Amino acid sequence: MQDMNLTSLFIELMARLGLNYEFLATGYEAQIWRDGFLTTLYLVAVTIPVSLIVGLIFAACLTSNRPWLSAPVRGFVELTRNTPTLVQLMFSFLVLNTVVSNMVGGAQNNPLSPFFWVVAVVGLHVAALHAEAIRGGIEAVPSSMIEAARGMGFSPFEIMRYVQIPLAFRSSLPAIVNGLISLVKSTTVGNAIAVSEITYASIMVWTQRDNVVELMIVLLAFFSLINFVVARVGSWVERRLAIPGYGL
Amino acid sequence: MTASPETETNTAIVKLEDVHLSFGQTQVLKGIDLTIYKGDAFSIIGPSGSGKSTILRCINALVTPQSGKITVAGTRVDQLTKESERIQLRKRVGIVFQQYNLFPHLTVLDNIVLAPTKILGADKTATVKLARELLEKVRLSEKADAYPGQLSGGQQQRVAIARALAMKPELVLFDEVTSALDPETVGEVLWVIRDLIRDGMTSILVTHEMRFAEEISDTVVFTENGRIVDHGSPQQIFHTADNPRIRQFVGGLSGGGRGAVRDGEGI
Repeated sequence: MQDMNLTSLFIELMARLGLNYEFLATGYEAQIWRDGFLTTLYLVAVTIPVSLIVGLIFAACLTSNRPWLSAPVRGFVELTRNTPTLVQLMFSFLVLNTVVSNMVGGAQNNPLSPFFWVVAVVGLHVAALHAEAIRGGIEAVPSSMIEAARGMGFSPFEIMRYVQIPLAFRSSLPAIVNGLISLVKSTTVGNAIAVSEITYASIMVWTQRDNVVELMIVLLAFFSLINFVVARVGSWVERRLAIPGYGL
Repeated sequence: MTASPETETNTAIVKLEDVHLSFGQTQVLKGIDLTIYKGDAFSIIGPSGSGKSTILRCINALVTPQSGKITVAGTRVDQLTKESERIQLRKRVGIVFQQYNLFPHLTVLDNIVLAPTKILGADKTATVKLARELLEKVRLSEKADAYPGQLSGGQQQRVAIARALAMKPELVLFDEVTSALDPETVGEVLWVIRDLIRDGMTSILVTHEMRFAEEISDTVVFTENGRIVDHGSPQQIFHTADNPRIRQFVGGLSGGGRGAVRDGEGI
């Protein structure tokens, strides 16, 4: 009941400022909206690691001297970087998803949800950006240092794992954090295929209530807060990984 | 068979026979023959671009010559076809470079411990113990937790030597290891190498430190234009060489005051 009172107090106060948050007192719309926040946070939490892991793998492929690894990834990176995420998502959901459905004998057997497609499309899109940043870092490792590692008996994979990636990750960290910030914002494309993240939920509410400004304020504050946290975590990692006496 | 007192214990650890190597159109090695015996200190001198460093890279299978036989510690390096076989060889042959090339993101201790534990699969505790002993040997015990960027060039190079030794190599290649150092720190690095040679480590040095080469080498070869012009004892190369080119080269490099300063520091 305490909770109820707080909500009505909030609605009351906001009403005095001319802002209409009455839907919070309803069961259904308030529920959609709260779930929207959670879905967005869940999307962000799943997509960030996907983008980082795939970005690392892409970067390793791009810098490998094996054309059968680097060429397909290069093609994918160019395609993703140069086309709108929204178009990619629609293509994936309307075309690829349909192909999968047909292959498994109908949409009812298709295990891939709209949520999955948002994670895949946004995750891989940002992974392509990460990959380019990390590739730059990998190529910036002096060839003499790689030769020294080879001279000690490191295999190409071990050089990548113990020398190139630790150094490349540090030098590309600012670009990676930028990529993650854009990832957070990109999760909103999910509303195009009815993933009920926060923009989708907000649209549902404001078409009923006509309270766009009220929801916008919260929406903007919410994304600002997430990205504030992402940026702070990024600079914390940067400080933690800083190498004493080295220009990174 | 010969007068050399070491003859009966001498076994060739490195043997190059008629090694030819080109990078594209450029012929770098034009028929190199070398024999290096176990426990020897072997110096390769000569002008820049004469193929000295390339010889070391052939021994370590970092580059593959077009023709010729290379035998290193019982392995026919020229017959290795797979990268994995070359990697096995490199684990047994240490190499130290001009540019130190320590891993900047690891502490001194981790630089030394990384390869033995991750590449050779050695026990971590034992390797850390070995690393501390090696740091003591190169007189850098107090720098174990420092990062390479916090060390001087000479200190970094000594760490690089300790890092090579931690792999327990059968021989060590030194590729102009003092060339990037200022005159004052050259001595501390040469001191470490001198110690190593006294301990009986087979060492092959490419160097421009003529006095040092003269002092520590069992054999010296002079290379020019991808060929070995002459080889012999330090006495023969530095003092009694008939070849005017060698006399000019040796005389031009070792006459200056820098060598004298280093000598004083080194001993």
